Amino acid sequence: MTKYILHRILLFIPTLLAVSMIAFGLSKMSNNDPVENLCQQEEPNSAAALARQNKECQQIAADLGLDKPAFYFAFRAKAFPDSLYQIYDLNERMARQNLIAQYGNWSLIEVYFRQLYQLNQQVLGLPDSLSNDLVSPIKSGVNQLNIHYEHERIHYFLEEIAATIQQNATLKQQLYSSFQNVVSVYSDVRNRPTKGLLYIPTIHGYGLDNQYHHWISNFLTGDFGISYYDRRPVATRIWEAVQWTLIINIASIILAYLIAIPLGVFSAKNRGNWKDQMTSTFLFMLYALPSFWVATMLIVFVTTSEYNMDFFPTGGVGNLKDTAPFWDRFWETVYHLILPVFCVTYTSLAFIARQMRGSLVEVLDQDFIKTAKAKGLSTQKTIWKHAFRNALFPIITLIASILPATLAGSLIIEVIFGIPGMGRLAYQALFQSDWPVVYTVLMLAAILTMIGMLLADIFYTIADPRVRLSKSE
Amino acid sequence: MIVALKWDYYFTNSKIDKFISRQQHISYTQLLWQAFRKNRLALWSLRLFYVFLFVGIFADFIANERPIYCQIEGTTYFPVFKEYAIKVGIAKPNPLFLQKDWKDIEYESVWFPPIPYSPNTLDLSNAYKSPSEAKHQHYLGTTELGKDVAAGLVHGTRIALLVGLLSMLIACAIGVVMGSLAGYFGDTRFQISRGRLLLNVVATPIAFFYGFITRQYILSEAGKEGGFGLELLISLGMITSIFLLFNLFTPLLKRNKWCAKLLPLPLDLIVMRLIEIFNSIPALLFLIAIIAVIQQSSIFNVLLIIGFLRWTSIARFVRSELLRIRSLDYIESARSIGLSDFRILFRHALPNGLTPVLILIAFGVASAILIEASLSFLGIGVAPDEMTWGKLLAFARTKPTAWWLAIFPGLAIFISVLIFNLIGEGCSDALDPRKRG
Repeated sequence: MTKYILHRILLFIPTLLAVSMIAFGLSKMSNNDPVENLCQQEEPNSAAALARQNKECQQIAADLGLDKPAFYFAFRAKAFPDSLYQIYDLNERMARQNLIAQYGNWSLIEVYFRQLYQLNQQVLGLPDSLSNDLVSPIKSGVNQLNIHYEHERIHYFLEEIAATIQQNATLKQQLYSSFQNVVSVYSDVRNRPTKGLLYIPTIHGYGLDNQYHHWISNFLTGDFGISYYDRRPVATRIWEAVQWTLIINIASIILAYLIAIPLGVFSAKNRGNWKDQMTSTFLFMLYALPSFWVATMLIVFVTTSEYNMDFFPTGGVGNLKDTAPFWDRFWETVYHLILPVFCVTYTSLAFIARQMRGSLVEVLDQDFIKTAKAKGLSTQKTIWKHAFRNALFPIITLIASILPATLAGSLIIEVIFGIPGMGRLAYQALFQSDWPVVYTVLMLAAILTMIGMLLADIFYTIADPRVRLSKSE
Repeated sequence: MIVALKWDYYFTNSKIDKFISRQQHISYTQLLWQAFRKNRLALWSLRLFYVFLFVGIFADFIANERPIYCQIEGTTYFPVFKEYAIKVGIAKPNPLFLQKDWKDIEYESVWFPPIPYSPNTLDLSNAYKSPSEAKHQHYLGTTELGKDVAAGLVHGTRIALLVGLLSMLIACAIGVVMGSLAGYFGDTRFQISRGRLLLNVVATPIAFFYGFITRQYILSEAGKEGGFGLELLISLGMITSIFLLFNLFTPLLKRNKWCAKLLPLPLDLIVMRLIEIFNSIPALLFLIAIIAVIQQSSIFNVLLIIGFLRWTSIARFVRSELLRIRSLDYIESARSIGLSDFRILFRHALPNGLTPVLILIAFGVASAILIEASLSFLGIGVAPDEMTWGKLLAFARTKPTAWWLAIFPGLAIFISVLIFNLIGEGCSDALDPRKRG
């Protein structure tokens, strides 16, 4: 047994690594840039301001750990340099990357961006006496050139800048030469591509100082990182959220079992007759009832005054202050959680009751029940003393499969009722591209699922000694 | 494991059933069908499914703002049919119909579909009308911009069925292949020469490099501007051909003694790990994550992802089925006369264990429909011009007075989930002789 459990736990490792890489890979495919979101978006009006802003953004990238290479190694075409990761701005990095993907000549592209930088410095150093109408199109043009890679766009912005420069003598004098440099380097980039380099694979190792390594090693030591969204520790955010999810789920599991087991027994006891058929049909319908529909109907009908049935609050968890008396807060919370708990409960209730009925019916068919009856035991006693215990085993194993559901299982209900639990946290984090939170939720969910599956198997052996644990099952 | 025990039971039953069917001179399928028909609820569910299928296929003829047939100034038009031609690209829209709303055209004779609205037709004068107060044939009321609920439901049927059936088709294809490889070959039976293994190990990064890394730019541009599917197919084609090319060299390498030595490939272990990985990711969260990354909303993305995520239960089932079948005598004798493993697997072993997959498919369709509905309810994964049940239901949250928005779309989701569950239940009863009575 111990050996089996150890074996299973060892097998967790590759699975967890795979899940972590999938989550990490997803975050790298996202084209939402956390650094850009946190950086100040003011237009710098002098070279010094630009430098300061760059430094701040660099600092943010460093704080978030995004100034490191993504993975232990990079497998890419020879045309790409090893140092692209140092550009913290996602759009600028993508512009370079996509230009390389088109022309394959990084040496020239690098020069192009350096010239562009110089041009930008000169634009920022222009005297204030120049009218803003002239300077701002150039400024925005240069900024756009920094993040674009399609020829039509680049061509358009170059033309735009050229046209503006031609309008004013000072501009012409100050910017013309460096602008011409940009134009000529860009035409070089286009005219002297080295596309062959794009088809030669190389592997470049970055060592341990990379984003993935830092994240996964911190995760394993219990440090979940800092949220991109509000820069608070992920652990704090998750701790705040998990309380609500646990309250809802524990309440609903207890309720579901309390109601489902007698219901299942009742149904099995009366199997075949109309009572059973009624209950079974009811449970089947309940099971097929989408919980988000029920939640929507409840919100529409019993939380608004439109139908004179404004019994419950529409959402949230109440907003009494911490200083309010405990029982006030308690009842306020209960009042807010009745509907969500109901919605989470009824689905699992239907499921458990159906399982209960099924397994009890199977047990009731067996010989030892007939013996018990023949002995003269009452139906009540046969069922509760002999059959029930045997039928309960599959139900116990169900508890294990409910474990992971406590984490993200009530996502839609939480979103609908506006409960700040794990499901809603994960949902919002995904749309805010708050990847540290997403990673953590995905990993915790994976760990809980695996523990749940292991527990289910272990419970099952305890419940039924005939089942032997083996590697293959 | 509970499931495994149950399947064991089905399997022995299918043998008994085949025996019975031979006795009664009817085919096994007929026997099962007879058993299925006895379950009235399941039978009616199946009939209701046909109705849904009909509505889904002919949605354009049931709810459409265009007339099916009309006559203007002596010329006859068939605008609904024309629309198909325009979508395929073999016809251009008639300028006559571009300027005016279909309702405002003066027809000499006209035949509108029973619901004369497309799901996205705006009828601003009838915004948020309940079924009773809405005029102009809004049978089930309207949404905020006067979009017709009935038309949305009809077209939503198509999307729901498309997602449910196609995603299960994908899941089934992956699951059956994975499950049968794992179950039939186990950890030892699939033997591969060192040379071939070596070639494939070398081929993998190369195929990946030329299939995806060098084409990353093309793929991502196609993702933004359309045509992603085609580019992806090209990539996959390149990968396949690189693997084929490398495998051509196997005979050459096999001349070397070291390379010719056979090694067992632990297919079962690999597949079971894969299943564990897929099972340990919370499906809904993962789906939302992928869709949030893709950013290009289309119902086809949703159904592809659902298909790729939900194959595990089918694979587990087919695996346990084949684990049993492969030790049966007739498989042994097929091996002894020298049939190839793949031939035995696909011609002899697999067909025997496939019928109960129907149960899993039926339940799978129900859950795929439910997932799609919940995603579109959250506003994820559907393009703005696609109308789905979940999306209609979501309108109810913004306007509590509109009870018809809360009831009808939810009812459609509920009924479709219910009928697929009932069909699944019916299949499972039909395959179980004890329950046939």
